[in-house]
Amino acid sequence: MDKNQRQVRLMRQSLFDQGFLDEQFIQLEELQDDANPNFVEEIATSYYQDSSRSLQTIELALEKTPHDFNKLDGYMHQFKGSSSSIGAKKVKAECQQFREYCKAGNGEGCMRTFQALKREHATLKKRLEAYFQMARQAGPIETACRPK
Amino acid sequence: MEEDEFPIGLKILVVDDDETCLFILERMLQSLKYQVTKCRGAEEALCILREDKGKFDIVISDVHMPTMEEGFKLLETVGLEMKLPVIMMSSDDNHETMKKGIIHGACDYLVKPFQRTALRLIWQHVVRNRRNMVALAAAVAEPKSCVLVEDDDDDDLVASPAKKRRRLVWTAQLHHQFVTAVNQLGHKSTYYECFTN
Repeated sequence: MDKNQRQVRLMRQSLFDQGFLDEQFIQLEELQDDANPNFVEEIATSYYQDSSRSLQTIELALEKTPHDFNKLDGYMHQFKGSSSSIGAKKVKAECQQFREYCKAGNGEGCMRTFQALKREHATLKKRLEAYFQMARQAGPIETACRPK
Repeated sequence: MEEDEFPIGLKILVVDDDETCLFILERMLQSLKYQVTKCRGAEEALCILREDKGKFDIVISDVHMPTMEEGFKLLETVGLEMKLPVIMMSSDDNHETMKKGIIHGACDYLVKPFQRTALRLIWQHVVRNRRNMVALAAAVAEPKSCVLVEDDDDDDLVASPAKKRRRLVWTAQLHHQFVTAVNQLGHKSTYYECFTN
């Protein structure tokens, strides 16, 4: 394994170790093959396009007072669903927290959590972009380490 | 199609208003050698299904599109009109929602995010549905399959050519067929109403 490939492997491992990604990301990696060689990156790109729009919608809804907690919960349910489908662990946790504040009718809590959510969303995006770029440079290596 | 090749090429319609989930599900199903058509919502799904009723074997649909009403309405309509098995899916793992899905006629309810292995055996729902449809058609179309008894002797349950006025006896076999069909079609279906009237 050359230096670049080792670097890619380390980057990938740290995404899991630091809690950014969970098991579901490995599901995506397992769906990648010769016929779909960039599947994981394509999914991540699709997710970030859709989720950025969703965040704007939620932000606008949060600016309206009094808060419509049912509506906010509905948006967040959707957001949580797509975030969990790519294995975005920390993002998913913030979504869950937000929904709990919605159920409790806690507007302050929602707004605080939303800021944390945006931060996690942005951080993961940067980490994934760096990872995919390095992976492209390094060339194909075996990424899924879990025994089948 | 040979028995061991059966699952290959199964035609699946996948319905979800989340694009990312749709892509992932499509890829999972394709990796299992199923044929997949994607669409973004209930209205589009019904258009596609009505265009060619025989084209699909099974439908997999999200519950919230964006609210539960859309998902359950699609579920009921597909069951009634197309008589296809429908699997519901959602990241909502609330028991009440799951129960509602099953009551509305879903043959299964998958909680997202799920693994590829959760989809491996969905072809069994297609087989079960086809058998139920055949049983229902037989029960409705063949009154002679009922046990007919002579009217004046309730103790004598021997099937015999009608000499006197016949009446229908609801046998265990008929009852099983009926319950299977009702569970498949849903309690509110018009088929149920027609059958009982």
